[in-house]
Parts: sequence; C-alpha cells; structure tokens
Amino acid sequence: MFAGPLQDLIDELSKLPGIGPKSAQRVAFHLLKAPADDAAALARAIVEVKDKVRLCRTCFNVSDQELCEYCRDPRRDATVICAVQEPPDIVAIERTREYRGLYHVLQGAISPIEGVGPDDLRISELLSRLRPTAEDRPPVEEVIVATSPNVEGDATALYLARLLQPLGVKITRLASGLPVGGDLEYADEVTLGRALVGRRSLSA
Amino acid sequence: MRVATLALEDFRNFVRQQTGLGAGINLIVGRNAQGKTNLLEAVHCLSGLGSPRGPDHMLVRSGAERAVLHADVVRGPRHVRVDLEIRPGRGNRALLNGNPVPSPRALAEVCSSVFFGPDELSLVKGSPEGRRRFLDDLVVGLRPARETLRREWERILRQRNALLRSMPRERGAAATATATLEVWDEALCRVGAELTAARLEVLAELAPYAAKRYEAVAGGGRLELAYASTWAPAGEGNVAALQSALQSALQEARERELERRVSLVGPQRDDVVVMLVSAGDPAGEARDARAYASQGDQRTCALALKLGEHDLLSDATGEQPVLLLDDVFSELDPARRRWLGGAVAAVDQTVLTSAEPDALDIGGVARVIEVRAGELRDAQ
Repeated sequence: MFAGPLQDLIDELSKLPGIGPKSAQRVAFHLLKAPADDAAALARAIVEVKDKVRLCRTCFNVSDQELCEYCRDPRRDATVICAVQEPPDIVAIERTREYRGLYHVLQGAISPIEGVGPDDLRISELLSRLRPTAEDRPPVEEVIVATSPNVEGDATALYLARLLQPLGVKITRLASGLPVGGDLEYADEVTLGRALVGRRSLSA
Repeated sequence: MRVATLALEDFRNFVRQQTGLGAGINLIVGRNAQGKTNLLEAVHCLSGLGSPRGPDHMLVRSGAERAVLHADVVRGPRHVRVDLEIRPGRGNRALLNGNPVPSPRALAEVCSSVFFGPDELSLVKGSPEGRRRFLDDLVVGLRPARETLRREWERILRQRNALLRSMPRERGAAATATATLEVWDEALCRVGAELTAARLEVLAELAPYAAKRYEAVAGGGRLELAYASTWAPAGEGNVAALQSALQSALQEARERELERRVSLVGPQRDDVVVMLVSAGDPAGEARDARAYASQGDQRTCALALKLGEHDLLSDATGEQPVLLLDDVFSELDPARRRWLGGAVAAVDQTVLTSAEPDALDIGGVARVIEVRAGELRDAQ
C-alpha cells in the first residue's frame, strides 16, 4: 500500500479493463514522474470524453454531436444498415473501405450469463429505423448483421433475423470462413465447416 | 512417440526443474505430496489440451504469473522441440521448434498422452459426468480441431441455463424472453447434434479396441459399449436427424425446463453404458456392468477402456501416445497388475508414479526419478 493519492490512483487504474494491479502500479508511477502538463492533459481528456462525447441519436455510435459523422453524411447509402455490437466494430469495417451504408450500434450482444437480453440492446431503435416514416428519406432495403462470429454474436444475429423477417427487409449476415492468406490445413473444424456451408459458386 | 526431456518453470510445486525421460518405463517415486502426479500432469499438458485434473490457473505455482514447459519430443524419425506457456486468463501460447503455432492445441498433433489415475479407475462405477468427459476427451484426442466444437457447446449450454434461471415465472409476461429462448434452443440443437454425432462416431471406433483388451484379461466374456440418451434415437448418427430429434425433445420438455429452470435434455445428460456378457454364458444377455459387475470387474472394464483409448489413438495417429499411470498399480490385485504390466511393456513410453515402488512387481524399468519437495533427481 502507498500513501493516500498514489494508492487512490492505482486503485482507480486497476478498475480499467486489461489492467491488473501490477500494470496499474507501473502506470501510476509513470504519471508521477511525468511532467505536470502531461498529467493534466490526460486528466482533461478523461473529463472531456465524459462531458462531450455522447451517443448518436440515430445509430448509437459515439459522437460529439447529436448525429454521428456517418448519419450526417449525405453521401452514405441510407438504404443499407449494418448492425454491429460496439463502436470499434464500425472503425474495423470502415478500414475496409468496402462499405458505404449506415450503421446501427446494438451496444452489446445477447448474453444471459451477463444478464444481457434483447431489451438491453438498441434493438427497438433499429426496428423504428426500418419503419416507413413521413420524413424524406429512402426506405431501408437491407440490414447487414455484423455481430461477432461467436456463440453470443450468433444468437443475437438469429434473434434479429427472426424479428426483422416479417418487415420484408433483406437480412444478411457477414460470411464466416477462412482467413485470407492463411493455410487451409490450419483452419479449425468449425471455421472450415462454416466455410463449406457458406461456399460460393465459381461457375458463371 | 516419447518425451526425451522435460523442463518445468513455476508449474504446480516446481520452481525450476528439468529431467530426462527414457524410452520404455519411467518410474516416479517419492513420498506423498511431493509432486509425483504434478510431473505426469506436466507431460499431459504438452498436448496443449489442458490438464486432466483441473483448470489452467491451478497449474501455475502460487505467486507466479505463468507456468512454462519445455520438452524435446521424439516422434518417429522427427525430433520436435515443444514450448508451452500457460497464462491463465490471457490465453496460452505454444511454440513448435521455436515457431509460434496458431493455437496450443496444435501441439496435440505432435505430443499426445493418455492419463490414467485413481479417478479413471472408477470410470465405470463413477458418475456419468466422468464417462462423458472420457468420451469428449477422446473426441478431441482423435481430432484436436473439435476442441472448438466442445467449447462452443459448453458456452451455449451455460448461456441457455443462465437464461432459464432468469426467465420470469408468470407466463405470457415475457414474449422477449421466450423469443430469446428459442434462439438458444436453435443453437443448442445445432451444436448438440454435432457433438452427439462426434461422440457416437468415437464410441463405435473405441468399442472393438476396449473389447479386445477386456477379453485378454478376463479370459473370456465380452465387453460392449452403448450410448444412453433420452432423446437421440438408437443407432442414429446423422447430424440432421439428431438435430430434429433434439428439437422435438426440447419442445416436449419446455414446461418442465421452465419449471426447473435448467436444461433437461441434450448431450449434457447422456451417458456411456458399459455392458458385459459373462464368460460362462457367451450366448447370454449383455448386462450393465455398473449394476451387475463386481468391483474388480468394474476396474477391469475401466482399464480396458483406457488401454483401448491408447490403442485407438495409436492406430488412428500412427504414433503411440505416452501412457501416464498415476498410482494405479497399488489399487489392483496381483493378476491384474501382471496384465497391466504386460500391456505397459509394449508401449513406447510409460511414466508411472508409485509411493511403494518395491511392491510394484514390473520388470524393465528404464529410469527412476525421485521427487522430493518439488525437486527432481535421478535415482537408479
């Protein structure tokens, strides 16, 4: 145990994800030695992020305005919505530069162990985006479900598919399969099995 | 195959130790609670499939952050260097000849073993859970990639049970909860059917090997294995058929599951039944060894199952797994000791522990290693 403020800082840091007691101690001592300006800048950044960053009114991505950059952008294709679990997933998809549609951040995945059910996710908000409105915007034609390819992400995708089916919107799921540039022999059976099920025709 | 050298760092009670192991029989001696079983466990962990005794965090010496194993493995003409770093909560890492492998379970292609301890000796009379684990371990042992299937199954079952526990009691009040349950039903049926099909396949492969081993020691009589399930149609190995059978069984159990708040049908409730036809009555009916066989016969069955597992893995992979026997001989009568001794003599490499080596009565011991308070030394 260290004296007052230092121990407080270590305790706070060790509440962060991926930071254990030892890392927390290292970061705390680093900050202690750092110039006062650097430490103040970090403190300010933390306060500002809580103060200024909020969730987009439409898609629940993080934003410093009422609408996020994608929802504001008139060049994006508003007939396609890609549903993801968390905001960082958007960054990953944007890096591909393959997608020009809009997003919807569910803010998690169905996981009964953690007490997360459909009502805890932004699913009703997604539904209301699909309903025709008087507003001057084109109707959504496709929802791409881009939840993670694990047990919880799959369950969430299946739930969404069942829920959205009656609305007559096209529902797609990101393909699961082999990593590009990898060796077939190293693929595990489940991945390879899914890749087989989702195979594509090469003949015209 | 065999393990030629083994070095341990912060593994169980070993701080930093290393030892050579010979071809043939390696005898680990020492008084109780010195670390004999821990050494066997370390050899087993070299397959990258975890310990037969418990979760990974128990493998790391208390106070240390990670445990590391290094081994030289001789597999046919190949010499392979295996390094495994066990980091509970952060994922384990493995190297083959110094090159990282995508997952530790890739080590199983190089280094495999069959572990046999007191728990395995009561395989037949013990709980169904032990027999399911035996079968699932063999599923993974034969095809290491199926570890993913097993984990996926366990995760789905835990999620579905958590959901059932949190379901509101009053009916009709929770359309969302019911819709969520249906999603988990579908996952349970899909993966449950795959797991069951894999189990049935492995059981059919194991049966002739176990029967042969049983016959050799019991001097007659016949051992048969059957898969007992409340929902899977007998003899059905087709995944799609199993999936629809599980679906209808779930439908039927819906009320009871909501009442009891736990998953009641599926592979998690299935069992392997060991059946015996007595030597005196070869035309007779096969009877459940759990209910009808003597204690000694039940142990013989357990030995036959584990040696059958070793035979099956040897034939399927073209290399004999290391045989790890943890204090098994002391539990056997002289006739079965001789039988097991004979079986061990034909194995490429066996590592066995004993607190009373003098009473062991087996010949051809290649190497004796003494364990005392977490330290290893050669004692010939």
